Amino acid sequence: MSETAVSTAEAPQPGRYTVPGLPPRPRSQLVGTGFAIAAGSMAVAGALGHYMARRHLLDDPGHDWLAGQSVPNPQLVYALITLLVSVVTAHWAHWASRRGERGHTWVGMAITLVMGFAFFNMVMHSLNRMEIELGAGEWENLAFAVTGLSLAILIVGMFYLGLMTLRSLGGSVGRDRSTLLGSAVFFWDFAVLAWAATWYVVYVVK
Amino acid sequence: MTDATTEAAHSTGSAVAPQAEDPTAFGLLNTADHKRIGRLFIGFSLLFALAGAITDALVRFDLASDSGHAVLNLETFTQVFMFTRDALVFGMLIPFFLGVAIYIVPLQVGAPNIAFARAAALSFWGWLVSFGVLVGAYIGNGGPAGGWDEGVRLHMLALAGLVMSLIVGAICVAVTTLTMRAPGMYMDRTPPFAWSALVTASMLVVSLGVVLGQLVLLYIDHGYGRHFLDGNYGVWPRIDWMYRTPQLFIYVVPVLGVAAEIMLAAARRWVFEPLALYFTMGLVGLFGFGAWANFGIAGEGADVVDGLEGIVLVGLYAGALAGVGGLLALLGFTVWQSRTWPRPTTAVLAAFGAGKLIAVVALVGLIGAGVDWLNIAGRGVDGNAPLRFTTWVTGQQSLLIYGAGLLGVLAALHWWAPKIWGRRLSELAGWASFAAIGGGAFLAWLGPTLSGAFTEQPQFVYNDPLLTTDYGSLIDSSAAEGLSVVGGIGVVIVLAGLGLVVLNLLVSVGMGKGAEADADPWGGLTPEWLLDSPPALGQSDSLPQLNSGTPLLDAELNGSVASAERTASEVPA
Repeated sequence: MSETAVSTAEAPQPGRYTVPGLPPRPRSQLVGTGFAIAAGSMAVAGALGHYMARRHLLDDPGHDWLAGQSVPNPQLVYALITLLVSVVTAHWAHWASRRGERGHTWVGMAITLVMGFAFFNMVMHSLNRMEIELGAGEWENLAFAVTGLSLAILIVGMFYLGLMTLRSLGGSVGRDRSTLLGSAVFFWDFAVLAWAATWYVVYVVK
Repeated sequence: MTDATTEAAHSTGSAVAPQAEDPTAFGLLNTADHKRIGRLFIGFSLLFALAGAITDALVRFDLASDSGHAVLNLETFTQVFMFTRDALVFGMLIPFFLGVAIYIVPLQVGAPNIAFARAAALSFWGWLVSFGVLVGAYIGNGGPAGGWDEGVRLHMLALAGLVMSLIVGAICVAVTTLTMRAPGMYMDRTPPFAWSALVTASMLVVSLGVVLGQLVLLYIDHGYGRHFLDGNYGVWPRIDWMYRTPQLFIYVVPVLGVAAEIMLAAARRWVFEPLALYFTMGLVGLFGFGAWANFGIAGEGADVVDGLEGIVLVGLYAGALAGVGGLLALLGFTVWQSRTWPRPTTAVLAAFGAGKLIAVVALVGLIGAGVDWLNIAGRGVDGNAPLRFTTWVTGQQSLLIYGAGLLGVLAALHWWAPKIWGRRLSELAGWASFAAIGGGAFLAWLGPTLSGAFTEQPQFVYNDPLLTTDYGSLIDSSAAEGLSVVGGIGVVIVLAGLGLVVLNLLVSVGMGKGAEADADPWGGLTPEWLLDSPPALGQSDSLPQLNSGTPLLDAELNGSVASAERTASEVPA
């Protein structure tokens, strides 16, 4: 009973859903991902808004806020560039998937995931160099929380990409069967954008 | 008409055979059937509503003493006060209508199941477990103002769990409405309740997302030094907006959908301008988006837009009032056009009352925001508290949650009980519930509203918990205490009405005393009334091809369901 119940949400049913001439139904997973992105966007916006509001309350944010912390800008910029390149490779993989080119799809996704891991490596190295001590001050707490939220979204994005890559390996490629991968790529775009906003607010504007 | 159309509907069907429910406990835990998930949400949310109303009565009577606390003490008062809000909003108001939407929306749009059925089940179990943890945190003295530090963070975790679960459920409902409508049922022909569920689900996703971001920050700061939180109490003012108007309007948009369904069925007509129906409901949801108006209430960022918070709140209430007023005018005009007086069933009375009360809340909110903005009667200047910091807010909460919300619950239960459980609820008990909930909500609103307007009674624990300890030195205590008693009596009457609703369900449905319902006992217009009561999983797939959200009305006007069908060649490319 349950198995059929689950599958009906995604797979077109025989009968009414395959009437010739009727417009194709929109993709449930893509739309669902869009809603998840909306929720995630508001979460990041809420956190960043709170961060900026607290910063605004200080008389001299540039001096009082960071309290001597130095931000390793080059590493964080390289990390962001890595992420931006991963967006290109993710879209390459999706494009290839829609054309049914499995080899390109898998190579594109593999490069995307490797770049994701490389990004985490660079960011964790940078944060370790900064030696942010949780609880030492307001900036430390807020920066840790906002950065953590964005990194968590990126982790979810990588997991989603990995899962949909496995679906592609299982044969879910082609023009009509690439929506699943497309949804994951869509979420990855959002995750990268969320990190870019966090990076700009917390580590550039500070 | 009903039997003929149902028969026609079934005879033209195809595809998936209806499936039986697994009656075992494992089947319940493992279910991916939208009907069972919906029923679970509805049942538990009613239980949590009872818990919330009981604790609210304790809070109201606790304020009826000039010596401080009559029933509770300072610590338990703040905990019980905050639990009441959690229980009524996250335990009852949102999940009840989410449950109804999970049950009804797939049937209304002709989908065989809810989108992401497993996720919908996860939404329910996540919500239930999170609410259990939330109660545990409060019991352990760990609410937002509690004395148990880990418990305060446990409360935040539980709240995050509740929010995420409800967001997941909302996404399932929204995706079902957007992507699983029967071919030919375009968005401008969606049944009113399905549309209202889409509006609420969309607004829940974007507004509750903000809470998640805030909770992450609050959790970290609370656990590590509390640099911007002023002790445990600092949590509450930053999340309080979720329990206030205008955000509360988002939670009651489904009530407008229920009201529209019932009033249009009573009129046996469709509105003369369908887009206005959808637009007005959307307007209420849009202007209910109060998350970003938080700056006008909390401290951070308030000076960035200093002076603007007043006009922002006025604008939000005015927009919501325009939406509700427009919708009620549209429905009223349609009923008037029909030249028939609706039969006063519980569903009709409750739907009518709930819709009206939302308009009243928007109007009262607009007046209050206007008074604050223009400093009328010295409000907000010379040390006088703005209305939004007084129990004026509690009055609005009472009218919206108890009045509009619970009357909407009553209307939805009586209207869809045949479709959900296969039995009708007792009309006599329904009328008594309507009278008790309506009357009680009025008193629960009147007491704190008058107290906030004339005695400046603080909104309980908004700014400082110490305000609750010495009311005598802050307010005209005798008047405030008397009005607190009025509000308390109102809550007790609401509680009695709610208890009657639950009893009615137990007797009519649980014990099987209610009359068995056929497919369309009310003469409904929307597709779910073409199905059995209750329908088997996947039975929607046996419906004929639909080309509107009101196939039964189309059939009545055109002669049969089949004539209302749209053939493939008629569908635009």
